Amino acid sequence: MSHPAPNPSSVSRRQFLREGMRLAAMTGAGAFVGLSSGRTGAREHYVWQIDPTKCVYCGNCATACVLKPSAVKCVQAYEICGYCDLCTGYFVPEPNALNTGAENQVCPTAAIERKFIEDPYYEYNIIESRCIGCAKCVEGCTRFGNGSFYLQVRHDRCVNCNECSIARVCAGDAFRRVPASNPYFLKTSAH
Amino acid sequence: MNFRRPFNPSRRRFLTETARASLGLALFAGARTARSATAVNPFAYDVRKYETTDPKLIAYRQVTAFKCPLPDARRLCLVGTDRLAVAAGNKVALLDRTSGASSAEIPLNNPVRCVTEGPDGSLYAGLRDHVEVFDAQGKRRATWPGFAGRPWISSLAVNAEFAFIADAGNRVVYRCDLTGKAINHIGNRDRDRGIPGFVLPSPFLEVELHPDGLLRVTNPGRHLIEAYTFEGDRATAWGRPSMGIEGFSGCCNPVALAILPDGRFVTCEKGLPRVKVYSQLGEFESVVAGVESFPENAKVGSGEKPGDGVKASLDAVVDGQGRVFILDTVTGSIRVMVRNQAG
Repeated sequence: MSHPAPNPSSVSRRQFLREGMRLAAMTGAGAFVGLSSGRTGAREHYVWQIDPTKCVYCGNCATACVLKPSAVKCVQAYEICGYCDLCTGYFVPEPNALNTGAENQVCPTAAIERKFIEDPYYEYNIIESRCIGCAKCVEGCTRFGNGSFYLQVRHDRCVNCNECSIARVCAGDAFRRVPASNPYFLKTSAH
Repeated sequence: MNFRRPFNPSRRRFLTETARASLGLALFAGARTARSATAVNPFAYDVRKYETTDPKLIAYRQVTAFKCPLPDARRLCLVGTDRLAVAAGNKVALLDRTSGASSAEIPLNNPVRCVTEGPDGSLYAGLRDHVEVFDAQGKRRATWPGFAGRPWISSLAVNAEFAFIADAGNRVVYRCDLTGKAINHIGNRDRDRGIPGFVLPSPFLEVELHPDGLLRVTNPGRHLIEAYTFEGDRATAWGRPSMGIEGFSGCCNPVALAILPDGRFVTCEKGLPRVKVYSQLGEFESVVAGVESFPENAKVGSGEKPGDGVKASLDAVVDGQGRVFILDTVTGSIRVMVRNQAG
């Protein structure tokens, strides 16, 4: 009994290499598409932020952050602000006069600028480089005024610790993980 | 040579040491928790000394209290001789003045901001931008046209000829006839007439008719009660800012006003929720209810309780016997206060 002779025209070396390369290219393209779609869809980056409706002005943002001064800063919602002459976020509870004297200011670091607009309205601006995130002004503004001052984690300096040291001690449980694509709570209505 | 002896405790000793270590850890954790719970905030906005009232200044006592049966109670007024009307949610609730029992409800299509009774028994309900009029049975008689600009009607006062509508959004009081047609504006800033204008950081503007024939209007941003003629001339004003009991606290108070039968004033404040009596000349006289009387209201905004600080206000009305009815908008409760005999 004799074996049949192999057919020399069944798969040539050239054809074998061509088919092999085509298969490898398609596998590579499929892997690239799969990996890139997985990265963009499933794994969004998250950062820490303070929910202003839960903040209880406990003072821990100033003392517990790993950064000194804290990455938490007061921000001003101008559309809510009453532009009060007697701003309870700017002045101590019983100021001796409504002027910019240090003894009359509630902010321990003089981080709020009071600017005359027209009688009897004043604009209040936060000087971020001085703000330590103590929330003293936030409490005064929210309790007696419209609550236009509120705290936010500033992401130009926050190092986004995996376990935020302020969140661990936050008395109001106000710290939340939010998408990095939308990292701030913008206050648009009073309180 | 010195070899250390291997640690080979007995079972009893092992258990004893483990229990001791666990106890120590538990005590440490407990102490730490207690310390954090009682930790004093070095950055607190400290107004504690203004939250207690000198008992010698309190001239009223509470005789009864009841809760408004509807949520979101905002303002109240007297109706007839024995009832109260409360603007709450999208309704006006009519309550018995002594028991608080609900006798009727008038539904409206939008939130009711304020309510008052006219001399003929009609009820005037202020919505954000217009006024609706109901007869004594609660049947709608008229819907007045809305106001232009950014209206936020916060108070009403009606006599036999005119309706006075306080619009906090436009910072003005309108004098209207009883069909709702505006006759003139009161309180607009006018330097030539010596009218400084209303300053209203939050939407509280109250108007009342005084027995002396003038209007009294609150100007919270200036911490003033101002008197105006019906034509809009500013006759007088009194008030000063102070966290102390004799003044009006915070950025913008008083938020509500009532007038005693003899013409003296009852004022309500937010932030430091308190109700006080002033003479006709604006001199502080006594306290109806201090901050201690409104613990839930005081917590809103103070950080102890999250909530809407703008909603955390008080309103008051006074009946012919001098009884003061105080509405706490946080709890929805209505307190009935009478003057102490000795006070």
